[in-house]
Amino acid sequence: MTAPLVSIRGLTLEARTARGTARILSDIDLDIGRGRILGIVGESGSGKSSLASCLLRLLPANVTRLDGVVDFAGTNLLALDEPAMAAWRGTRIAMIFQDPMTALNPLFTIGTHLVDVIRRRTPGLPRRDALTRAEAMLERVAIADPAQRLASYPHELSGGMRQRVMIAMALLAGPELLLADEPTTALDATVEAQIVALLEELRRDIDGSIVFISHHLGLVAQLCDDICVMYGGTVVETGPVAEVLAAPRHPYTRALLACEIDQDDSGRLISIAGEVPDPIARPPGCVFAPRCDRAEPRCRSEAPVLRVVAPDRRSACHFAETLA
Amino acid sequence: MTALRPLVQVLRQVCGTVPGALGFAIVLVVLGAAIFAPWVATHDPDRLDIMNRFAAPSAAHWLGTDHLGRDLYSRLVHGASIAMAVALSAIAAALTAGTLLGILAAWMPPRGEAAVLILFDVISSFPSLVLALAIVAVFGPSTFMVVVIAGITLTPHFGRVARAQVLTLRSAPFLEAERILGAGLPRIVFRHILPNIMGPLIVLASMDIPVVITIEAGLSFLGLGVRPPLASWGVLIQDGYQYLSDSWVPVVVSSAALAVATLGFTLFGEALRDAVDPRIRQER
Amino acid sequence: MRAETARYLASRLVTSALIVLGAMLLLFALSALVPGDPAVTLLGPQATPEFARQFIREMGLDRPLHERLWLFLTNVLTGNLGTDVLSGRPVAGMVLSVMPYTFVLTFGAIGLAVLLGVPLGVFAATHRGSLADNVLAFISVAFIAVPSFVVAILLLLVFSIWLNWLPVLGAGNADDLWDQARRLILPMAALAIGWVGFIARLVRSSMLEVMAEPHIRTMRAYGIPERLVTYKYALKNACIPTIALLGMGVGRLLGGAVLVEIVFARPGLGRLIFDALSVRNFPVVQGAVLVVVVLFVVVNLLVDLSYSAIDPRMRRGGAAK
Repeated sequence: MTAPLVSIRGLTLEARTARGTARILSDIDLDIGRGRILGIVGESGSGKSSLASCLLRLLPANVTRLDGVVDFAGTNLLALDEPAMAAWRGTRIAMIFQDPMTALNPLFTIGTHLVDVIRRRTPGLPRRDALTRAEAMLERVAIADPAQRLASYPHELSGGMRQRVMIAMALLAGPELLLADEPTTALDATVEAQIVALLEELRRDIDGSIVFISHHLGLVAQLCDDICVMYGGTVVETGPVAEVLAAPRHPYTRALLACEIDQDDSGRLISIAGEVPDPIARPPGCVFAPRCDRAEPRCRSEAPVLRVVAPDRRSACHFAETLA
Repeated sequence: MTALRPLVQVLRQVCGTVPGALGFAIVLVVLGAAIFAPWVATHDPDRLDIMNRFAAPSAAHWLGTDHLGRDLYSRLVHGASIAMAVALSAIAAALTAGTLLGILAAWMPPRGEAAVLILFDVISSFPSLVLALAIVAVFGPSTFMVVVIAGITLTPHFGRVARAQVLTLRSAPFLEAERILGAGLPRIVFRHILPNIMGPLIVLASMDIPVVITIEAGLSFLGLGVRPPLASWGVLIQDGYQYLSDSWVPVVVSSAALAVATLGFTLFGEALRDAVDPRIRQER
Repeated sequence: MRAETARYLASRLVTSALIVLGAMLLLFALSALVPGDPAVTLLGPQATPEFARQFIREMGLDRPLHERLWLFLTNVLTGNLGTDVLSGRPVAGMVLSVMPYTFVLTFGAIGLAVLLGVPLGVFAATHRGSLADNVLAFISVAFIAVPSFVVAILLLLVFSIWLNWLPVLGAGNADDLWDQARRLILPMAALAIGWVGFIARLVRSSMLEVMAEPHIRTMRAYGIPERLVTYKYALKNACIPTIALLGMGVGRLLGGAVLVEIVFARPGLGRLIFDALSVRNFPVVQGAVLVVVVLFVVVNLLVDLSYSAIDPRMRRGGAAK
């Protein structure tokens, strides 16, 4: 296995809220393989979107602590100053957001949005040339009548088309790392399938890695090479997707799978008995212990470390080996 | 007694910010001057002393005298009384009218409600001063006219808030219970709607005081409001303006009083609103 | 144009027409409800008995109420705003001759206020919480709180009387453009000051709201320079609520203009109304007030129309598939 494109070590994120300091991410260790698609799965509140925001370093003002190392092909992104980091955005890293409805500025045409993104790579490119490139890319993401769409405003497009536009935007940036934050959650099931198919088709075009964040295990199984399961601000399991889903090494992953199988795969939110842990009052031991059916006293006092339990497989459970 | 505690808490929050504290201080001073005018003033505001006109500030006349030798300080203090009297009357009138209309609008069928809302829109965006001029042209200037005009101008403010509150309360479960129990409309209005409306309306009232003060001052300045020799600030400014070449003190002093009062009430009103609206509180 | 937008504009037109009609009715009602002998009250003591009789005949004051109303309405709609009691000139002509002065003052003040207020508001939004922001916030409130006629008087005092930099009163020689311009400075500044504060605060809060929206986050996620994000994108979004509130404030602006004109002894609609008022010259008051109302309504309509210019969601059809 070649060296990973991105290597995250000890990433911790805390923010100030009205009720106290919230620990959003705790000591995250994660690798993003070169040229591979990594799926990050978890419930809402697991911290998966915050993780993506950390990679872009696009964080809200109430963040109080951001520790750790995000090694992107040799550069620690967390150590860069703001101008240097801004240079990475839209060029080496790009992001597709969850809600295409609000992600585009209603007062500007699609063309204007795309032209400004294109100019990140080629500053000063005349508008006409930029529009030509934009048109080609719109065609590539299977948008009908691309020339007309360039002159359209976001409200004139359907949800699926808007998301295609967001994908086109991301591709135009030509990134080494593409972050897709629940890109299909806000779409209908049929449209969702189309977008996923599009992403599968485009992965060959993308000369880099993709991170696909979702709460939908089925989609991740379909699209991704590797999987990372998150819970309560920590990574609980990682590994190649087929292996992890066939033989999970963490009780949470097991529970997730059980939910998916029992439901009819319509993309509904997964539900497990109990509640997501409160980020302000994290339990001392394993984050999942309160809801785990295999929890033992040790789990509540000693937090398990994410460790290698098999080749390319990591798990944060004291009993990972015995779970298979 | 329990109603007092939230009041103290709100006041403390208001005074927590610099603008809020400043505003509150000014409000206290102005209200104090207004209420205790006969005692705070040093002279009879109407007492003429032509020999002593345009006297410079001195121990006898703290702010000097105007073109008729009247003590400026005392006239200013009484001006505060007039400003407050007019403001409070106009607001009381607008509060009543607005609340009634607002409640009416919320209970009426859509057509009627739309009509009331259009009326609100028209009044609130209308060039009130201009229409005031027309009204005064016919009925002649008087303090009462000022109160009426200011009251009309403010009615939409209160009306809209009252209506909004009624709409949210209308679907509240306890109101349903009351209705099932057969409570009549007046009972519902007085026991439930009014107490819940009072909060936001009071905040609105305090923010509207500077508006009324300004309207009154403007009209009195034109000679169309409070009639001289009553010492409204607007009248004082007009007097000072007329004799600007003789002495700049009257104009500056009365303008300053007006400006400081409106500023103070505006700051206080805004701090009050911020303290009461939880949404804004979080943003800070 | 979208059906919704067309309907909205149509309803605004209807409302505007209603406002004008309402104002006309109100003005008529005022003149009709005047206590005492209408001629004496409206004309004042200086009218001779002959003139009073002629006036009564002309104005149709001796005719029944509904006939008078009809006469009034038809007159207005044909542009006949009556005749000035004192000079005998048509009111319409008098109003038209002073309108340009009021226009220049009012729109000049708005322009000045926008020119100063918008950059200040953007600056405050982009430097939120800084000392400059807090100072600006306080100054804005101060500017808004002080009535414009007070500002006018103080400016007059400082710049004309004490420093003697600028001429004192009047609009200046009609032939001398430079003179006219000089005399515009103080009145425009007086009117504009309150509005600078208002606009700055408005722009600041609109910008802050807009900058927290997801589409701005998208731009930042792509590393679009902050300069572009603020001035090209966010500012345009922030314009919409700003224009809305500006439109609502036109009424106040007109009121302020009236007072400023009087303080600076400038010709204009305000002065016209006021001078006529002082001598109980009701026809002039009536005609001028009516014109002001119409102007106000037109400006509001224009503001509404400008929405479609800025916001494409109001223009074309809905989502395509």
